[in-house]
Amino acid sequence: MTELIPILVLLAFVAVFGVIIVIVSGLFGPKRRQSEITKAPYECGLPGIEKDNSKIPIKYYLTAILFILFDIEIIFMYPWAITYTDFIAEGQGIWAFSAMAIFILVFIFGLFWEIKSRALDWD
Amino acid sequence: MGSDVFEISVNFIKLVAIFLLMVQLVPLLVWVERRGSAYIQNRFGPNRVGPLGLTQLLADAVKFLFKEEFIPGEGRRLIFLLAPVVALIPGALAFGSIPLSAPIQVEAFQWLGQTWGPYNFPFQSFQFDIGIVFVLGVSSLAAYALLMAGYGSENKYSLFGALRASAQMISYELALGLSLVGILLIYGTFDFAEMVTLQEGPLTLMLFGTEYTLSFLPNWGIFYQPLGFVILFAALFAETNRLPFDLPEAEAELVAGYHTEYGGLKMNMFYIGEYGHMLVASGLISTFYLGGYNLPFVTVDQIREFFVQSQGFTLTNASLAASFLLHLVFMAKVFLLLWIFIWVRWTLPRFRYDQLMDLGWKTMLPWALGNTIVTAVFILWMRSV
Amino acid sequence: MGPGEHHCHSGVYSLDAIGIGVDMQEAILFYILGSLAVVCSLGVLLSKNPVSSALYLALTMVGLSFVFVGLDAFFIGMVQLAVYAGAVMVLIVMVVMLFDLKKEEDSFSPGFFGNGLKVILGGFMVGAIASVIAYSTEMILSAPKITQAEPVDMSVKALARLLFTDYVVAFEILGVLLLLVAIGAVALSRIPGGTHADD
Repeated sequence: MTELIPILVLLAFVAVFGVIIVIVSGLFGPKRRQSEITKAPYECGLPGIEKDNSKIPIKYYLTAILFILFDIEIIFMYPWAITYTDFIAEGQGIWAFSAMAIFILVFIFGLFWEIKSRALDWD
Repeated sequence: MGSDVFEISVNFIKLVAIFLLMVQLVPLLVWVERRGSAYIQNRFGPNRVGPLGLTQLLADAVKFLFKEEFIPGEGRRLIFLLAPVVALIPGALAFGSIPLSAPIQVEAFQWLGQTWGPYNFPFQSFQFDIGIVFVLGVSSLAAYALLMAGYGSENKYSLFGALRASAQMISYELALGLSLVGILLIYGTFDFAEMVTLQEGPLTLMLFGTEYTLSFLPNWGIFYQPLGFVILFAALFAETNRLPFDLPEAEAELVAGYHTEYGGLKMNMFYIGEYGHMLVASGLISTFYLGGYNLPFVTVDQIREFFVQSQGFTLTNASLAASFLLHLVFMAKVFLLLWIFIWVRWTLPRFRYDQLMDLGWKTMLPWALGNTIVTAVFILWMRSV
Repeated sequence: MGPGEHHCHSGVYSLDAIGIGVDMQEAILFYILGSLAVVCSLGVLLSKNPVSSALYLALTMVGLSFVFVGLDAFFIGMVQLAVYAGAVMVLIVMVVMLFDLKKEEDSFSPGFFGNGLKVILGGFMVGAIASVIAYSTEMILSAPKITQAEPVDMSVKALARLLFTDYVVAFEILGVLLLLVAIGAVALSRIPGGTHADD
């Protein structure tokens, strides 16, 4: 708990610092009337095209889901990594290695299946 | 935060000072980038404002202050205005957990009629024993600043730029996380300060159960994990959206990507966030692979001893002097890495988006996995014989 | 918490000196962080824009991870931050941003009574869950106690030891489960026309 307090203090400090800058940046500039044209989205200077409801590219969704899965697997490797040498010192090195090796094999199988099935292809 | 008023106030000042250090290094970095890129491209950079153009950034900041404030659309005001604030937070939090120098040990001293006990101030904003997992968690929050900026701009190009940028960031977070497993296998701790302490002195290897010392090489991580270093370095380029991975900001494609509709100081805050991430990335690489704040071949205690013996400092002053010296060493390593970031940016062409995603998923991830497995096998072999 | 020692149990000693003990400091911190998380989750219910709801939910996850850290569970707190707030919520926010949500925004019922009704219904759900937890906790606590001889070590190394000695089968099954999720996600996304739907 002791270490949480500096984090919260720093978070509060950075947030206040950012908010002050955002507020200040709005105060000093010239205040001009905002018309329809200035509020329109910037599209390289050309008149804006109407926003059409295009289909959702499914690639983003798939990338994010695969990221979640592999991220969880990588998080599991972290505690293993720091206790690996302890296990070896106790003589259980082979056990620790093979426990993780099976897990990594499943991971590799999953990764290569994704690559093979062209799920990660962006064209 | 501390056990008495002195410690609390010193810790608080240290917290604020480290954050302001990060903010103040950004104008310097931008100056180096503009002059450096100019010399690479055989032209002059800004050299009129102030000596060597150093106050150009100050002039730019003042100019930004007086810009008109545009808020596109009224429906998403709050998200639009909060995105630059969220851009600052991950970099600042992560920078606070990296040790910038050796801890300062203060002996008990008398002041105002009271004895203030012996203290140990780590040279970082906060120290806990899960250093790297904290940095990993906090830098995965950086995707939110992009998404909020792209969405709040009410501009479909900004939105798509933000989506592509965040898809790129999350893909390379995998390679980043995985390349660190190799170095964690060797050090056996998450804590940055302990990792740096383990990189003191000359290189000691354990081969087949006996220890060998190669005294012509420092005990840095890069000699244990060269492939991990390369993968981490490349993944950090992608995490900080630097060229050759900066397609989300590419001018020809999406104007300026997710920060198209931002002007003035709010855009400056995105730059502080990006350069802050670069600082964190350089700090991480030098902590893991380049020995952190260690001077090669000498340990921190030897430096403190040197100050006590030869200069006759007290223990407190020797600790302060050693920390100051090692801080300069750390900053030198960080600046070297930052220069490499800038140098690569202006040398290599940009990747196409599908090449980028292929590189992240199909090349870096398998190599990082292979690195982990080979390291694990090696350690098992070398230490159990 | 519970039977056993705390891991790095120290508070702010100056507050300790003026009478607010360490346990009370932890309790204050827990209540502040917990109520911030609850306020953010209310924001999920009460905001008109679905993207704002998603962002409030992400903020709730961040608040939860701070609650974990406040309870001395550093590793779990950071994993919560990295996986929940940094991966799952990014997915949800990304997907919600991609939809066109005019109909959802129009069908939102604003105003005091609408919001009040939402909060009351949320309160009912929370009450139901809390009563189930209380009932089952009472069943556990009234069971014959098993006294613990040695203090519980709460560090990451202890977690790793448990994971790879006692629960290793669960760990391997988890790997297979993640693989199944990946295959399922790819299969679900294979709409007619392939994954390369028009951009």
